[in-house]
Amino acid sequence: MIIYNKTWLANLRLQNTLEKDLYAGCITKDEFSAIKEKYPVDFYTPTLFARVGLFILTCIVMLFVYGLIALMVSSSNMFSSPGFPFFLGLISYAGLEFMVGGNNHYRSGVDDALLFISGCLFFTALFMLFDANNNNPTYIDLTAAAFLISLLLTIRFADMLMSAACCIAFFAWVFFFWTKVIPSGTATVPFIMILASAGSYWLLSTFRGKIQFINYQNCLTVGLIICLVTLYASGNYYIIQTLGDKLNGTSGKAVPFGTIFWAWTIILPFVYFGLGIKRKDAILLRTGLLLIAAAALTFRNYYHILPIDTTLTIIGVVILGIAYGVMKYLETPKYGFTYAETDEANLMDNLKVESLIIAETFSTAPTPPADGGVKFGGGDFGGGGSSSTF
Amino acid sequence: MNEPLYKTLHAEGLISDDSLNRITEREKQPPLFSVHWEIKTLLYLGVLLLTTGLGLLVYENIDTIGHQFVLLFIALICAGSFAYCFKLKLPFTTEKVKSPNVSFDYILLLACTSFVIFVGYLQFEYKVFGTNYGLATLIPMLVLFFVAYYFDHLGILNMAIANLAIWMGVSVTPKRLLLNSDFDSETIIYTYLVLGIILILGAYATQHFNFKKHFKFSYQHYGVHVTFISLLAGYFHYYNSAIAALWILGAFALAFLIYRDARNNKSYYFTLLVILYSYVAASSLIVRLFTFGDNEGAVALLFMYFIASAIGLIFLLINMNKKFKA
Repeated sequence: MIIYNKTWLANLRLQNTLEKDLYAGCITKDEFSAIKEKYPVDFYTPTLFARVGLFILTCIVMLFVYGLIALMVSSSNMFSSPGFPFFLGLISYAGLEFMVGGNNHYRSGVDDALLFISGCLFFTALFMLFDANNNNPTYIDLTAAAFLISLLLTIRFADMLMSAACCIAFFAWVFFFWTKVIPSGTATVPFIMILASAGSYWLLSTFRGKIQFINYQNCLTVGLIICLVTLYASGNYYIIQTLGDKLNGTSGKAVPFGTIFWAWTIILPFVYFGLGIKRKDAILLRTGLLLIAAAALTFRNYYHILPIDTTLTIIGVVILGIAYGVMKYLETPKYGFTYAETDEANLMDNLKVESLIIAETFSTAPTPPADGGVKFGGGDFGGGGSSSTF
Repeated sequence: MNEPLYKTLHAEGLISDDSLNRITEREKQPPLFSVHWEIKTLLYLGVLLLTTGLGLLVYENIDTIGHQFVLLFIALICAGSFAYCFKLKLPFTTEKVKSPNVSFDYILLLACTSFVIFVGYLQFEYKVFGTNYGLATLIPMLVLFFVAYYFDHLGILNMAIANLAIWMGVSVTPKRLLLNSDFDSETIIYTYLVLGIILILGAYATQHFNFKKHFKFSYQHYGVHVTFISLLAGYFHYYNSAIAALWILGAFALAFLIYRDARNNKSYYFTLLVILYSYVAASSLIVRLFTFGDNEGAVALLFMYFIASAIGLIFLLINMNKKFKA
């Protein structure tokens, strides 16, 4: 089961809750430090920048350790055996257990890197194993293997990246199993994927409310987001058509029950959005917003009503209008909604991320016009990078 | 919701009666759900899409009569947004000025971007600055710097810095720096070096004269990256001549200066950058040393060097992080 000290994890949650109270001005600084003393957390968790630095350095160390090992065994023909990557993965995993179990690293960058490396190597080993056995690895085996590995690592380390990999592998497995094994599976696979993702969403959200899974809150959140996106993607018209063409070897064939899927493509994001507002659920709300953009893109892919420039201008004005309307409406908080910032100190402000993003998206290198008759290409001025942003 | 938790803490004597009252008072009110970040993202996207759309619209319709209306529209947006910002802005000080409301920052962004599009169009269609492309980029840059300081807007400062680089003929935004740059030309290396030094001096001046101190991060962020990269590029460009030593010495000197500054300001980010960049510099020297001879033993030794040095750095970072936290 989970490798981390459960008392410390509980204390960490307690400290995080009370830190918010501290910022909200409900408790005093002295009380907070007294509580910290009484409920200690002895994990080693550095700041974000240190975590990034440690991640890079750990990768360098592992790269050269493996290089050295490869150099030592280069005369034998071990490279083609699946045992080799498995062995390397074991080294990395042993290092991980040592750093986390022995040195109490918790989200320190070192453990992130080692976990990532060992996960990849175990998967490579299994891939080579299937490849050696029948010379034709089936996706069913591979996705099942990836699912198992990432599930085990998720249970042990409660890592968000691993839980994301785990969910994606599971859905990929369902997809490949249904299309390859079940007769006439290609026609019914959208419905099965919808069932699978809806079922998983329900299961994970039940888990999320259970006290036994309290250490896995973040993993379950990641899982829920992936379930929601998969649920939408399974019924998205464009995805169904493209995948259907790939599987049947056709091109541009109309999808049976097209109306249902069109309705799904357009309506579901708004359902998410509405439910998010009703339940005050940030996951549903934000996923809904993102998927509304996806729905708009899908629609535009089939029906070109307006040229791209006019569309962008109109959408821009509409979005600004909506934002302005919401702000006016929520001037005084209504129905438990506010647009003011919460009290929580935001780490991102330290990095000034927003200003860096603005610089990246709003400024572009100039292309002095070679001759006056040529029109400028896409987004050579202020609006920069239009082709990639939309 | 967490009532028992606070009751326990109170029973243990960790929370005073006052604090418990404040907490129960707050728990009675329904919790507020903040859509702050959603609104900000929407505003950002709206401005981005609108300006991209307008920019395209002008050039797509350049030969028709309609483009003058589009141009007029852009000019109106620009003038309107600037007018709004001048009306609402708080008085100028040399310290950080808070923006009067959430949308202020984005309207200012809209104003600046539409201004840049407008000037770009004027140059393209009417050749206002003739073939003097330097001037055509200099003026937007000066305006952006002025706006950034006058209204205290970090995002626009970053745009201005990027424009400074464009004016000098290079680029600082990460994507273009990595994809388009050709560090094999002497002119480009020297241009980047000069740009980087200007930015670092700018960062120093910002702090020294205590003028908009919170702008220091932006100058230093771009300055440090650009200078280190150009110094290392210079070292590899002149790898086989004696001048290479000068470049690598420059890198170490810069590392020392930035490290001292980062330690004084307790900035872990810049300490990390210094460590990683000087690690690259030192390692390139070591690699050079080991590859004099050409045998397998040297390669193995080199691998061991990397393992040992990286582990050493890991411990260094861990220790330093503890120091910075304390």
